[in-house]
Amino acid sequence: MSAPEKPAPPVNYWTKPYWNAANEGKLIIQRCLDCQKHIFYPRICCPFCFSDRIEWVPASGKGRVYTYTVVRSNAPSAFIGDMPFVIAIVRLEEGVQMLTNIVGCDPDEVRCEMPVEVTFERLNENFVLPKFKPAGSE
Amino acid sequence: MESIKDKVAIVGTGCTKFGENWDLSLEDMIIDAVYEAYEDAGIGPEDVQAVWFGSYWSGIPAPSQPLATALKLDYKPVTRLENMCATASDALRQAAYAVAAGVCDIALVIGAEKLKDSGYSGLPTDDIAMGNVSTAINTFRSRNFTAPGHFAMMATSYFNKYGLSPEAGKEMLAKIMVKNHHNGTMSPKAHFQKEITVEQVLKAPIIAWPLGLLDCCGVSDGAAAAILVRGDMARNFRPDPVYIKACQIAVGPQEGYMNPRHDWTMVKETYRAGIAAYAEAGIKDPRREISMAEVHDCFSITEAVIYEDLQFTRRGGAREEIEAGTFELHGELPVNMDGGLKCFGHPIGATGLRMVYELCKQIQGKAGPRQIKNPGLGLAHNLGGTPGGATVSVIIVGP
Ligand SMILES: [Zn+2]
Repeated sequence: MSAPEKPAPPVNYWTKPYWNAANEGKLIIQRCLDCQKHIFYPRICCPFCFSDRIEWVPASGKGRVYTYTVVRSNAPSAFIGDMPFVIAIVRLEEGVQMLTNIVGCDPDEVRCEMPVEVTFERLNENFVLPKFKPAGSE
Repeated sequence: MESIKDKVAIVGTGCTKFGENWDLSLEDMIIDAVYEAYEDAGIGPEDVQAVWFGSYWSGIPAPSQPLATALKLDYKPVTRLENMCATASDALRQAAYAVAAGVCDIALVIGAEKLKDSGYSGLPTDDIAMGNVSTAINTFRSRNFTAPGHFAMMATSYFNKYGLSPEAGKEMLAKIMVKNHHNGTMSPKAHFQKEITVEQVLKAPIIAWPLGLLDCCGVSDGAAAAILVRGDMARNFRPDPVYIKACQIAVGPQEGYMNPRHDWTMVKETYRAGIAAYAEAGIKDPRREISMAEVHDCFSITEAVIYEDLQFTRRGGAREEIEAGTFELHGELPVNMDGGLKCFGHPIGATGLRMVYELCKQIQGKAGPRQIKNPGLGLAHNLGGTPGGATVSVIIVGP
């Protein structure tokens, strides 16, 4: 029996620009051309005004941890080897939030309101995943 | 829009022992719970006119026919339904509506789940537990994010919002679990019947920080049942029927994952289902008018937040109420008299009816050593989903 692999994100035409940018180490999010609001996750139309006039814009990659957990127990899966790992909701400067991992520090150092910035981790030959690390860390 | 208040009564209830019921099949447990309810109501299978059967994923695909076979239902209508952990509560709601509408006078409601020999522990996420059954696409719930993880995020944000150190926050939560375990020792049908200490809760292995093993309920095998009849017929069955005062469900649009301003220190669905149920039952001051509650303590933090969402206390008030013993068995507003999900157990699709079973036993003065004094209105709160997007049922019953 082969070891389980981490799932790859499903890609469709409206998420493709996001994953292409991540592959180049860039975090991009959407913005509505009609109501000017930022949008995440990728959509085919604006969830605020239903406009389909949406553009992709660079995100600063800076935000704060709103809430988090440190996963220390799980059922068998490809993620077992990563334990303990941090799952967090990060709220970006642009006003959108991402469900993500905090990496690059001891999980016990993570706190609510902690400033974080985007970092990129390669999942496999096709995908790079945006994650977050403490702001200003290496 | 009319209220359901007093139009429908519960005249019989049944519940199996919850736990690791290796020697009982799903059908065995259903028969045990249903025949206890028949006996309690003084009726037999020939009296039942329609059946609602709730189960989350036992034996999927599971049509209604095996149930009709096991219960010898003689070509009667059976509806099988699923609404996550609020499944049994929704089955009761559907049956109550049918009785209130006058399309049947005597309805049987069943909730049943057989989990322990499926390997389901509550930890596996969709891809493991559901296998190829699940076709759900959900951009925001990744596969390394467990149920304890979802609720743990409510605890970290709660501690942060109210300025609690991790130690103080964990101790507040531990006291809830100690209370539920204490109550569970007086529940002969409970899965876990052992006292625990605050120290044991604090020292238990962490599952998803800040929640440790003893902050989490397990999953169980079990079944529960109820017989509903028209309110004006209820006293023909027994002198002490229990009347339904409200049954409401609120389903949220997963705001926690969509709305960057969503507050994870509350479950808006609980708040909204509570408001709707209080309005339906004519309740103005829940803290004073509700005399007891069975609530969905899937995790310690869930119960803490429920106190606030159901307006038993103010926002941020959970800690002082816990210190004051408000929700203990002989406190001002007892919560989870039978041990709750934490100790009575959580066979997912049966849980809502187990709560109603306990409320009926309390109202009828049959709760044994855990009997509370002067039970009046009882509330059953049953939550499916996660803090970021839930399905919450609030049922209120009373004498
Ligand atoms: Zn817009």
